[in-house]
Amino acid sequence: MSQLHWYLLVAVLLFCIGLYGLVQRRSLIAMLIALELMLAAISLNVVAITSLAGGDAESATGNVSSAGQVVAVILIGVAAAEGAIALSLFVAIQREVQSINVEDLSELKG
Amino acid sequence: MNWDAFLFGSSAALALIGALFAVSLKNIFHNILGFALALVGVAGLFLTLGSDFLAIVLLLVYVGALGIAMVYAVMLSQPLDTPRTPRSLPKIAGSALLAALVAMALWLVIRRAHFPGPPEVLEVAPQWIGRRLLQDYVLAFELISVLLVVAMIGAVMVARRDPGRRAPGTAAGTAPRPGAPR
Repeated sequence: MSQLHWYLLVAVLLFCIGLYGLVQRRSLIAMLIALELMLAAISLNVVAITSLAGGDAESATGNVSSAGQVVAVILIGVAAAEGAIALSLFVAIQREVQSINVEDLSELKG
Repeated sequence: MNWDAFLFGSSAALALIGALFAVSLKNIFHNILGFALALVGVAGLFLTLGSDFLAIVLLLVYVGALGIAMVYAVMLSQPLDTPRTPRSLPKIAGSALLAALVAMALWLVIRRAHFPGPPEVLEVAPQWIGRRLLQDYVLAFELISVLLVVAMIGAVMVARRDPGRRAPGTAAGTAPRPGAPR
């Protein structure tokens, strides 16, 4: 296995641990944690591929190795915005129904 | 075993162990600590890839800002000793099976994929990232700033107590405000 494959293996494992947490946990905050783990695995993937295998894939603006890091910075920004919105929603939901268990939040079912 | 392999192995172990703590422990506070540990491991992996700047940004934003915000949300939302309903074993096994199947599928794809070699010039210095952000990707950069401002204002709007709403229990519209004209 090449060096890149080791990084991709770690990213796959991280992503799937996050997926397991997202499906298995019922607390909204635990699900947000799992989601953020998946996002971190994706940015690890992007950075590893562009800095270890960006060889003959020239982008329109030249070498791709720093473009991957720019993508990762943007991903981190989106994750921060998502986390802020999600946590404030959880606080509002908790105030409304005194629970952040997703199985108690089924009013939209009709 | 050389230094690079040691750094990679310890960072990867930190990331995976932290992630396991983050999804499997019962106490939500321990989950957040495991999440922070996992992100420290990912930052270490970024360091082994030569992206020092990205590692520091990851630590600041995820471990610093998001971790603290989660701790605040837990403190505001729920006492830590609230009894939790345990999930049934078939559901846990089903989730684990789903995650394992996805991992195997992804790994099969990765094994069969053809990756080109490393780039000739490895641009990892922070000034390259700054140049990219403000020249080639300036639209994405500006959109991210707008998104962060909107998210911040939206978070404040959603989470603050609505001053016009009555406390639960009092019938809406029956009690006149003190001082209101009859």
